[in-house]
Amino acid sequence: MDIIEIKGLRKDYPLGDTIVPALRGVDLTVAEGDFMSIIGPSGSGKTTLLNVIGCIDFATAGSVKVGEHEITSLTDRQITEIRLNKIGFIFQTFNLIPVLNVIENIEFPLLLMKKSAAEARKRADKLIEEVGLKEYAVHRPAELPGGQRQRVAIARALVTNPDIILADEPTANLDSVTGASILELMRRMNEIEKTTFIFSTHDANVLKYARRIVKIKDGLIEKEPALA
Amino acid sequence: MKLIFTIAWRNILRHKGKSLVIGVILFTGAFLMTVGNGVISGMAAGIEKHIVNGFMGDLVLISEAQKSDNILLNLMGSSIEPVTTYKQIKEVLAAQPYVKRFLPVGKNLAMVLDESTSAPGYAYLLGVDFAEYRKMFPESFTVIEGSYPAPGQRALLIPTFARDEFYDFYNIWFLPEGGQVVKENLKKEALANFATLNLSTNVVMMGMTSGINTTTDIRFPVTGINKFGALNQIFGHFCLVDIESYRECLGYFTAADMAAQVPKEEKELLGLEGGDLDSLFGGEMMVSDVKKAPKLKAAALNEPKLSEDGVYNAVFIKLNDGEDYGASLKKLNKALAGTGVRAVTWNKASGPMGGMALIIKSALFIFVMLLFCVAVIIIVNTLTMSALERSSEIGMMRAVGAHKTFIAGMFLGETAILSSVFGGAGILSGIVAVRLIPLLRITTQNDMLQLLYGGNFFNPLLSLGDVGLTAVQLLFVTVVAALYPMRVAVQITPLDAISRD
Repeated sequence: MDIIEIKGLRKDYPLGDTIVPALRGVDLTVAEGDFMSIIGPSGSGKTTLLNVIGCIDFATAGSVKVGEHEITSLTDRQITEIRLNKIGFIFQTFNLIPVLNVIENIEFPLLLMKKSAAEARKRADKLIEEVGLKEYAVHRPAELPGGQRQRVAIARALVTNPDIILADEPTANLDSVTGASILELMRRMNEIEKTTFIFSTHDANVLKYARRIVKIKDGLIEKEPALA
Repeated sequence: MKLIFTIAWRNILRHKGKSLVIGVILFTGAFLMTVGNGVISGMAAGIEKHIVNGFMGDLVLISEAQKSDNILLNLMGSSIEPVTTYKQIKEVLAAQPYVKRFLPVGKNLAMVLDESTSAPGYAYLLGVDFAEYRKMFPESFTVIEGSYPAPGQRALLIPTFARDEFYDFYNIWFLPEGGQVVKENLKKEALANFATLNLSTNVVMMGMTSGINTTTDIRFPVTGINKFGALNQIFGHFCLVDIESYRECLGYFTAADMAAQVPKEEKELLGLEGGDLDSLFGGEMMVSDVKKAPKLKAAALNEPKLSEDGVYNAVFIKLNDGEDYGASLKKLNKALAGTGVRAVTWNKASGPMGGMALIIKSALFIFVMLLFCVAVIIIVNTLTMSALERSSEIGMMRAVGAHKTFIAGMFLGETAILSSVFGGAGILSGIVAVRLIPLLRITTQNDMLQLLYGGNFFNPLLSLGDVGLTAVQLLFVTVVAALYPMRVAVQITPLDAISRD
């Protein structure tokens, strides 16, 4: 079943008197449980594509369906609910809440969903173990190295059992060894939780982890290369 | 809610510098607002005590013919219109349940004459029934030399301020009949000239009026020297005389004249408003030279309320505690229709004094509001900067599903915590300061400052209501100050956060 359906997606950015087209008519479908990588050079539109799928940015034209929701016609409140319940984010710069410790960061989305404190803590405890950070539960993000912070971000993204996790260059700020471990973790979570992962990268070494690769260039999807 | 306050509290601790800036402003604002409210309350209580309960009452009845409401500190030369219908007025007042007490008075200007000099001085005369005056204003002044006049006694009380002024003008030191010079009460200049001090135990005064009645110069024996509890320089302009002597001085009908000379039919005529004035002064009704007028025996004056039959210039009225001025004024004026008088508030009747009290109160209020505005502006700036600096964090929260209300709640929570802690500390400090200030006995001789101080010494007061008012003002500052930063914060989108990164 397709969890994401995109047809004729266009996204333009006004730059003074000029219009800069970031996406020029993208058609894409993503199946449930996919572990997909979007690859392309800088400025190709991969981050824009992820942002539109993640309901962070809005299409200029075209149709974007996430689950059964046509997101181009939703209100801010509805879109926020979709982000909370259906989508998890992993950012390049981790973006953890600095005043909350590891376990609190992980359970944060559950508390936004008005889950009870006990329920949220129970789920967060499970995930903190899965990402291997149990002994760092009460540490603040500033006390952790980049790789561990990204693990926290992954756990936070997974805690609400989202349908989709979007990761924008998740290993860009990490060394190759740490980056590889993060990708391994993401792949494992994909297998265990059956969550659809879509991550963008311009690093060819990252591609070997993907089960599906979508190449984007100048705002358009190119033919998908066959996987080795 | 717990999450919001947890994040808010930890953010306050994380950004200690900014939190301290906002905290200090809130502390200072709350402290000054508390003390300011205390000063306003102290001033109001002082006015209540010294002016309302000490000199004029809440409301004043004046003649409808009186052009200006200001009868207390009016321009020299403009006399106060007589009120001739006191008997009728008294019945009306006695029937009003909101009226606690009332006192008819005569008030006008008199020339102070001295044989040794051709240049007259001036004094305000307040003609009263001394016994009734004491019941109306029991604590308004103390007699520091001589004695308080006995009921029905012909008497003059000179306030210390007026006595000092007379000394400056005439080089005469007045003292009570049968009294001795009290060195402690002497003015500095008089003390320096003690050996050659001119003393006198009586004063000659002639009433001044723009009416057609003929005034008379009266030699007043000085019965006592009095000092007002506060505002002595303002109230100290008023020499208190017995009402009958006042009437003689001003050429009004005395009670004796009314009782002894006026036939019944013409008495009834006198009770009418707007009657033909000429007929009142024709033939046998002309006031005779007061020196030849029959001296009323003390015994005669003890007869109940005889002095009420005569002319006054005003009636001071005290309302029951808690009565609303506006409503009482309206009801009273309605009830007094046809009696030839109208009721005004003490502020209006006291002219510049009432106006000054209002100005001081308004100035204090504006000061408190300015504090409020400055606090709001600084807090708005600081919080807005904080919101912009935390764009990544806020954008990320929005990206993972935090609604705008959560973000707004977070900012409001931070401001509320700062307000409660620092603002609360400011209020408590203000309460302590208001308690301590009266102990310092900060005094002033300046009457305008005495109005502000609420008396001779600086005496701010705080009621539970005042503390509540400050808390409400603080709450208002908190909410208003948080509004714009909240708006800035909720406008931050997840995309803004990623773009900044």
